[in-house]
Amino acid sequence: MHRRSLILSLIAAALAGATGPAAHAQKQPIVLQWQTANLTESQYEPVWKRTIAEFEAANPGVRIEPVLVARKDHWTKFVAAAQARKAPCIVSVDLATAAYNGYLLPLDKFFNAEPIEFRRAWNEGILSAAKWDKKLYGLPIWGGTYAEIYNRDLVVKAGLDPEKPPRTFDEYKAWAKKLTGKDQWATAVLGGKTDTTTRVLLTWIWGNGGEAFNADMTEATFAKNPKSLQAIKYYLAFAKEGLAAPSPTTTNYLEQTNLFAQGKIATMRNAYWAVPKVVGDNPAMKGNIFVAPNPVNVPNAPTLSTMTASSISHSCAHPEAAWKFIKFDADRKWAIERAKVANWMPLRNDLANDPDVKADPMLAQFIKIGTNARSYPLPSPVWADIAANDIVDAVQKALLAPEKTDDIFRELDVRLTKKLRDI
Amino acid sequence: MTRISALSNTLLWVTTLVALAVTIFPFYWMLNTSLKPPVEVFASPPTFVSAHWSLGAYETIFRTRPVGRYFVNSVIVAVGATALSVSLSALCAYGLTRFFPRGATPFVMFLLFTKMLPETLLIIPYFRLMSDLGLLNTYLALIIAYSSFALPFSVWMLIGFFRSIPREIDEAATMDGASILQTFRKVVLPLARPGLVAVALFTFLIAWNSYVWALVLTTDSSMFVMSVGVANMVGEYRVQWNELMAAAVVAALPVMVLYAFLERHLVDAITAGAVKG
Amino acid sequence: MVDAIALPVPRVARTGPLNRRRRHAGLLFVAPVFVFLCVVIVFPLGHAFWTSLHRVRGLSSTFVGFDNYARVLGDEAFWHSLGTSVVFTSSCVALHMVLGLGLALILHQLTFARTALRILFLTPWMVAPAVGATIWLWLLEPQFGVVNYLLRAAGAIDGPVAWLGEPGTALASVIAVDVWRGIPFVMLLMLAGLKTIPAEQYEAAAMDGANAWQRFRFVTWPNLRYLVVVASTLDIINTIRHYDIIGVMTQGGPAGGTEVLPVLLYNTAFRANRFGDAAAIGVALLVLVLAFAILYVRLTRPDRPETAA
Repeated sequence: MHRRSLILSLIAAALAGATGPAAHAQKQPIVLQWQTANLTESQYEPVWKRTIAEFEAANPGVRIEPVLVARKDHWTKFVAAAQARKAPCIVSVDLATAAYNGYLLPLDKFFNAEPIEFRRAWNEGILSAAKWDKKLYGLPIWGGTYAEIYNRDLVVKAGLDPEKPPRTFDEYKAWAKKLTGKDQWATAVLGGKTDTTTRVLLTWIWGNGGEAFNADMTEATFAKNPKSLQAIKYYLAFAKEGLAAPSPTTTNYLEQTNLFAQGKIATMRNAYWAVPKVVGDNPAMKGNIFVAPNPVNVPNAPTLSTMTASSISHSCAHPEAAWKFIKFDADRKWAIERAKVANWMPLRNDLANDPDVKADPMLAQFIKIGTNARSYPLPSPVWADIAANDIVDAVQKALLAPEKTDDIFRELDVRLTKKLRDI
Repeated sequence: MTRISALSNTLLWVTTLVALAVTIFPFYWMLNTSLKPPVEVFASPPTFVSAHWSLGAYETIFRTRPVGRYFVNSVIVAVGATALSVSLSALCAYGLTRFFPRGATPFVMFLLFTKMLPETLLIIPYFRLMSDLGLLNTYLALIIAYSSFALPFSVWMLIGFFRSIPREIDEAATMDGASILQTFRKVVLPLARPGLVAVALFTFLIAWNSYVWALVLTTDSSMFVMSVGVANMVGEYRVQWNELMAAAVVAALPVMVLYAFLERHLVDAITAGAVKG
Repeated sequence: MVDAIALPVPRVARTGPLNRRRRHAGLLFVAPVFVFLCVVIVFPLGHAFWTSLHRVRGLSSTFVGFDNYARVLGDEAFWHSLGTSVVFTSSCVALHMVLGLGLALILHQLTFARTALRILFLTPWMVAPAVGATIWLWLLEPQFGVVNYLLRAAGAIDGPVAWLGEPGTALASVIAVDVWRGIPFVMLLMLAGLKTIPAEQYEAAAMDGANAWQRFRFVTWPNLRYLVVVASTLDIINTIRHYDIIGVMTQGGPAGGTEVLPVLLYNTAFRANRFGDAAAIGVALLVLVLAFAILYVRLTRPDRPETAA
């Protein structure tokens, strides 16, 4: 019918016109998509643009297409694409969870084919943190070590000595009492609904010599291990005793750094990247910050170091090219750049004598603190779930009803153990 | 209308102004923050008016981010969805009211049912569907998605609207020799214009403000729409609040302008369409 | 709503070739939307149901029958979430309707700057819910937010209130934000409805000596009744599914105080990566909404002749 053919041709025209600029992509050389939540960090942007430009210049025939996505939606977008087997080739995601779900390609054959000079740059410890089920799923690129960061002015004003930061829990509490005053608190207790809550909690647990899990991650021991429970109570008590900023259940990295930048809290447990955030919010804070290791109750208690790795997704059509880019991006040059603009710590072990690194005493300090750190996330495929949901819920409940802390964490142990074994 | 005393009038006005203040205060604050220099964003006590107001943030976002491109993409997708939604719903509502009057009720139930599915469950199957059709990173994928969300309310509203146009008009046109399609296009549709405008405004709003679908269905940053562009400005390690608010203002403004001009049609349409059930 | 849609059925049964042609033409009109919605809804629905019967581990899945449903329905978190959803939805919709109607009644009486006021009151509805929620998040910030500052300046509170920090106030806050977002649309519908009430009815009532409340009860309300039913049905269906505001402001916290079903669904799917369970929750939610819609429509259908106003 006359009308029908008109309608059909209209639809065809619409489809042709509406396919947008992506239609051109098929004629290009190899296109690798690169998705990490950090591409939307404004201070990193100039660096990654240069990384891509230099890589493409050295490798004609390969094009890198960055996929920009807001951090909070990064995983959702990745999973939606991975489920349709269309995930970006190069990604930085929660390793154990993604590997367990079959979204990533094992990298052993690429890594082992590299010369020893290349492979030496990563310690065995760091590499094992990037392994799941004994296979390597990512090349560690950067991380952040958690330490105690102080506001020098507020410390001095409270009559305390910045050269002698607290080294034990008791000393820290004594400092906290002096640092709390009118419209000002010593620190912030993190209880918001992201996994940063869990990270900080773990540093306190480990600092007391406690353990949150058993060695092979099949049992949770938050309450079962008495030192662990003791540390939890000590840390959460800061909120109850008014030594921490109010509203801990809505406090995460953003709120904590806001408070620190505006001088409302005198210390924060955070990683090196918090420093430029604070200085960006309040330029007056520049030079007013000093760092010290976490106060601990047992000698050699480890702190926590996050690890971000670059991985290749399972559905990648060009894994060799993807590996080339990952290698390129892991080079010392870019590691230094990242450290300089965003304070993301390099995980290579051959940068300690680099002049740029030496010129930044705070970075050197963090690197030193990081030599005694455990890697995060913890190696379990359900980690993303329990760290952001269950453990946070328990912390929030304990903040709202401190007298029930024991029961809350006992229940948490039961719940987590069940999840850990249900793999 | 009934006359009301001066006291009642004053009371009404006071209530209205209080309600108005609560309603638009967030927008005022959004605008205020977008004009401040970044350091002042955290000032305590917060500043309501600032001597340092400037358009610096707006200038920066237009310079450093392809906000113009995001805007164009949003316009294309929203207009496309509107066109599709208006044409399909008009056809459907006309067909139902004129040819299947008894089928209108179950059909509306079906429409309502389609709205009951939780959005999260749709994300993965939609992506797979669009990926299989080769429509990822296209305007069409978003146009289809947004139209499907707007259709239920659009069809339902236009049903009411077409029903208020008497059949005698159709019959008169038929007797004058017009075919069914001509009757529809040339005679009935013009009479339904306020309804069509309402459907258009409604669909435009859905398409312009939606985020999750554009997030998942587009990866090429040249295809990003405003809502995605704004969300991408929230870094974790640094957030420029004034720039973020400026982008939000730019994202919200077009819809407000559009509604300001066409609002009268909206009320008229709803009056005729939804009310006279 | 059902009765309002039903038309008086044509008295003459229409059959015969002429009307079959008309029916074919009619199908052509209706088919595009029908097919469109079927593809776009039926496929994801089928996919969701299929997923709910499987234990999904990334790209591989094993059939487990109704195990996921058993586990989800046996989990205390689901029922708690359902309860929170009920509280959230009923509060929001009730406030939308009452305040929306109230606002419409007031605006209907005013003559000055009517159009401008209408547009201004419509603004919360025009901005994306996520954007509105972000702004409110900033306004309600305990230390730096304007709301606490204003309340302290007015002497209403003496310290910063953590609005989103406790389950009770957090739920109240997200309800308040949703009310802010949702009133404009109801107001618009009610305004439209008020415009159609013939003036003679009011004059007749006035002549009978009715006061303001009686005028509302016997003139305004019967005329608006149908519209209220329609608006509230749509509103309930929309609000039960609503994710954006809570997703941006509290993500379901603190301690699950604002975890409505859509948030539980999202967290189960994309934070816990348990797609089978999430699909089961989704299907349960769908069945719930469907059951409610049917019940609601039945309840609000007038089954006795209306008394004349």
